[in-house]
Amino acid sequence: MPDMRASTRPALAGKKPLNGDGVSMRALPEGYVVHLLGGWDAELSPLLNELSAERRSVRRAAPGQWFLVGDEPLSRAEFHALEQRLAPHASCVDQSHGRVRILVSGPRVERALSAFTGADLALAVFPVGTSTTSLFGHIAAHVTRVSDTAFELMLLRGFAESLWEYFAGTWRVDSLPPAWPAKRSGAER
Amino acid sequence: MTSYRLASGGLVDRQSSLRFSFDGRSFAGYSGDSLASALLANGQRLAGRSFKYHRPRGILTAGAAEPNALVTVGRGGRTEPNTRATMQELYDGLEARSQNRWPSLGFDIGSLNGLLSPFLGAGFYYKTFMWPAHLWERLYEPFVRRAAGLGRATYEADPDTYEKCWAHCDLLVVGAGATGLAAALAAGRAGARVVLVDEHPIPGGGLLSDSATIDGIAAPDFARQAVAELATMPNVEVLVRTTAFGWYDDNVFGAVERVQKNIRQPSASAPVERLWRIVARRALLATGAEERPLVFGGNDRPGVMMASAARAYLNRYGVAFGRTAGVFTTNDAGYALARDLEAAGVDVAAVVDTRADTNFAWTGKARVIPGAFVSDALGGKSLSGIRVWKDGATETIAVDALAMSGGFNPVIHLACHRGGKPVWSDEHAAFLAPPRLKGLALAGAAAGRAGIAVCLEDGVAAAASILSELGFAARPAKLGEVAGDIVAGPTPPVWRVPGVTGKAFVDFQNDVTSKDIGLAVQEGYGHVELAKRYTTNGMATDQGKLSNVNAIGLLAEARGVSPAEIGTTTFRPFYTPVSFGALTGAAHGHHFQPARKSPLHGWAARHGARFVETGLWYRSSWFPRAGETTWRESVDREARNVRQNVGLCDVSMLGKIELCGADVAEFLNRVYCNAFAKLPVGKARYGLMLREDGMIFDDGTTSRIGESRFYMTTTTALAAGVMNHLEFCAQALWPELDVQLSSVTDEWAQMAVAGPKSRLVLQKIVDDDISNDAFPFLAAREVSLFGGQLHGRLFRISFSGELAYELAVPAGYGESVGDALMEAGQEHGIQPYGVEALTVLRIEKGHITHSEINGTVVPADLGLGRMVSSAKPDFIGKHMLSREGLTATDRPQLVGVEPLDPRTSFRSGAHILAKGAAATLENDQGYVTSSCFSPHVGSTIGLALVKRGAERHGEEILVWNGLRGEFTPGRLRDPVFLDPEGERLHA
Repeated sequence: MPDMRASTRPALAGKKPLNGDGVSMRALPEGYVVHLLGGWDAELSPLLNELSAERRSVRRAAPGQWFLVGDEPLSRAEFHALEQRLAPHASCVDQSHGRVRILVSGPRVERALSAFTGADLALAVFPVGTSTTSLFGHIAAHVTRVSDTAFELMLLRGFAESLWEYFAGTWRVDSLPPAWPAKRSGAER
Repeated sequence: MTSYRLASGGLVDRQSSLRFSFDGRSFAGYSGDSLASALLANGQRLAGRSFKYHRPRGILTAGAAEPNALVTVGRGGRTEPNTRATMQELYDGLEARSQNRWPSLGFDIGSLNGLLSPFLGAGFYYKTFMWPAHLWERLYEPFVRRAAGLGRATYEADPDTYEKCWAHCDLLVVGAGATGLAAALAAGRAGARVVLVDEHPIPGGGLLSDSATIDGIAAPDFARQAVAELATMPNVEVLVRTTAFGWYDDNVFGAVERVQKNIRQPSASAPVERLWRIVARRALLATGAEERPLVFGGNDRPGVMMASAARAYLNRYGVAFGRTAGVFTTNDAGYALARDLEAAGVDVAAVVDTRADTNFAWTGKARVIPGAFVSDALGGKSLSGIRVWKDGATETIAVDALAMSGGFNPVIHLACHRGGKPVWSDEHAAFLAPPRLKGLALAGAAAGRAGIAVCLEDGVAAAASILSELGFAARPAKLGEVAGDIVAGPTPPVWRVPGVTGKAFVDFQNDVTSKDIGLAVQEGYGHVELAKRYTTNGMATDQGKLSNVNAIGLLAEARGVSPAEIGTTTFRPFYTPVSFGALTGAAHGHHFQPARKSPLHGWAARHGARFVETGLWYRSSWFPRAGETTWRESVDREARNVRQNVGLCDVSMLGKIELCGADVAEFLNRVYCNAFAKLPVGKARYGLMLREDGMIFDDGTTSRIGESRFYMTTTTALAAGVMNHLEFCAQALWPELDVQLSSVTDEWAQMAVAGPKSRLVLQKIVDDDISNDAFPFLAAREVSLFGGQLHGRLFRISFSGELAYELAVPAGYGESVGDALMEAGQEHGIQPYGVEALTVLRIEKGHITHSEINGTVVPADLGLGRMVSSAKPDFIGKHMLSREGLTATDRPQLVGVEPLDPRTSFRSGAHILAKGAAATLENDQGYVTSSCFSPHVGSTIGLALVKRGAERHGEEILVWNGLRGEFTPGRLRDPVFLDPEGERLHA
């Protein structure tokens, strides 16, 4: 049936960016998410550094595991090339369709997210590049600080719409007190 | 405004007048008033009725411990019963109503209970309503239920919203009095992240009620300046109207912020309450101390008040609590009040000091009576006088207000929420927090210290100590000289007052008297936990904040021991009541729980699917068509179409796990009870996982899609459970194996294409040859689709018993591939089918799900005993599987069940009885695990677990539904109702 076209539908298709007072939210392009399973192979670290140097975004997922993410889809050839490059130090599992990424940003983003997650997202303890997995309401998401005022949330595709609606329907940024104990000029943890 | 509002003074805004009503009467107050202060200012002393005796009650405190002045506030969905008038901020238009009275607060028929008080003493619940027994349910229980409770909750929906929030800090300071402000300033100046919470709308605590000066500044102004400085610090957050209600593991504190409880019409853009979870590296309780009431006759009459409360109404709200006041005290706090009262022009008739040797240098006008006690308060609905007992003689003094102070109980509740028990201190004459608390310290009055200067120093010192532990450089700093502070140090406690004739209340809210405590001891309930239950002391909404320590003192006295030996009851969250709205937050209605949607959800919706929630997933249940009036019609059609033509079912919800690594085959060989070591690449195999105890854990197919890569499917229900199990196996049991796991449930849209024409349909979009020879049963391979536009994974497996495949494609392509299959299958009669038809098809084939894998079955019970490998040296469950009980011959075994008369039916869960056996549990032979109407058999069919079922095929039995009283004669049979040879499967 060569006349048929296979097309992809983003999980958050039709969800327009939300803009509040000091915080906004938008779905990121469904490019690629590759789950790297490396265990404790010491030779993997330089390879990950190489990937980072190539401006690929490497997120720590768990001990010995990382997510490699990007906004443009990886072709089959590119994926296989990545597998070859990392073998035998790490296995690659394609999660490009299984995970959905959302960008939440703005000067009050930490405060807005504090209504959903117990993770301490203050810049001093959660600097740019840091990742963790936490519940956002009832939904688990992998969160990465991507700038001083922006976080990437990555979550299971099946929950993406629900989390979006939960955020959109429940956050009341306008009501949040303006101040937040964010600075830490003393000892760091 | 009224004769009780002082002409000047207080922190209220006299330029901002507010109207409010109480029991329909209109009053006026000022911005900054509490409902209690506004009522007092208007001369409204009678605020409520007690629970048991319906005694008239006035306002006793000025804070969270208030046991008497509980009112219902608001109307409609915003009705809030049991609101403490002392904590309710006044706002324009506030409507409050008294509770637990009929027909009115002034004339309450329930007060006749007081005449029955000789029969309503401690434990009367346990001594009455015993006979005749049959009246309990008909009369006594309804009566007791009707009498129970105070205010009435509304049945109308709450129109407001609530929010839950997290905060993190280096130091959480609970309480913004002198100690808390000093600590917060010290920590804030050192750069620590500080959260300071206080339950009142204005920080300052006792400073707001004090007439002392600090560095020449009035105490309330000092508090205001301190808060202003804190507001300039970006590292400090001050949360007012916020009550810290619990201390939990990992130093997490719960706090509830009353965001919009102080306005009539809350804004929709903000929650009315916000529940905080505050994660603190360290916490400091600066919660102050609660003044202890004195237990004398009539101590509950309106007009009797705690001395600290009378001082708060005087200095903070500018309200005199009476015209001619008496003070009954065991310590110097009474003199501080007497001094302030006289300064405000209120006549103080007498200061009755229990200490014969008091050396307080009183310079006021009031008469001081040392070594004396107020034995009784006189009057009806309002105080008219006091009887003073001294050395056996009594004297009556006319007063309309009496302040009492029996010493101070440090507020240590939060410090005891994680199992620590309070410790009695003779030195402090009070219970103190348990020592050596991890992550939590106490300072100021909460630690038994007294006086503003000491508390300021203690706050700074405590903060400095904590900051030092956290690595911050903080220097102890003096916050100023204090002048005019009357320090009420600890004095010997007075538990029992001599000369009492009237009822002397210990627990005001639950009407527990000193006699009740004595009776509990007499009747053998002298242990503090037993006395609590026997008398109900401390069991009201105030949880005994004022009464518990007095009850302990009276118990100690009655038993002739120290309060240390009596100890306290267990402290638990919440410190004060928390609304269900706050606890729920936004998680209600549409947001009650997350919805997990399949990548084919939109496709199914477009085909008219009815969805059913299974776990969090929304699964297509059936797809009704025009003219079908019942779900059964749709399901029967869908099931028939799969058997005759072809159907498409979304099975994306199945758990899917990708396993990578050189040792995965060995790993699976240990996880499954059947062999997996030699599974060839390109093949799928059905597997059974057992638990360590030998029972079946889960089942599913696992395919080898590469030499060192496998693709496992699990049941939908146990997807997460299997993932956790495998992670445990990989990380803890066999870390030497090279195995990595990744959940790919959401990565793939998976579709079952089932029916005799399924191959014809699939071949239209699959580029590879999928003929029976090229792609036989249990083949599993990556395939090219749409001329190479897309690649997916194709599995020749079947849950329906028909020629069938499961096609997995990257989730984003799910809908378009679903559409393509429907288009490709149009000429072959393809129809979507849902989980109901799927269930029919699998029961017809005797396939199991977790209805049969109920946690108590082993493979042999389900006819799968041959799958258990005897050749493998080990696998999870192997050894326990050979236990005697798991190999017994009378174990329940899987059978099919059909009714003798096809017009009759039965339901899942019904029990199996031998033919002719009485319907008793003793005769129970097993139960129906799954049932449905089979359009192919033409009757209801079922699967059942029945004792020795495998050898009872053909036996007539009775299906018994005890809940519905249904009996259906039936027959046991082979569980495979259709195509027992499996010919359709291999077509």
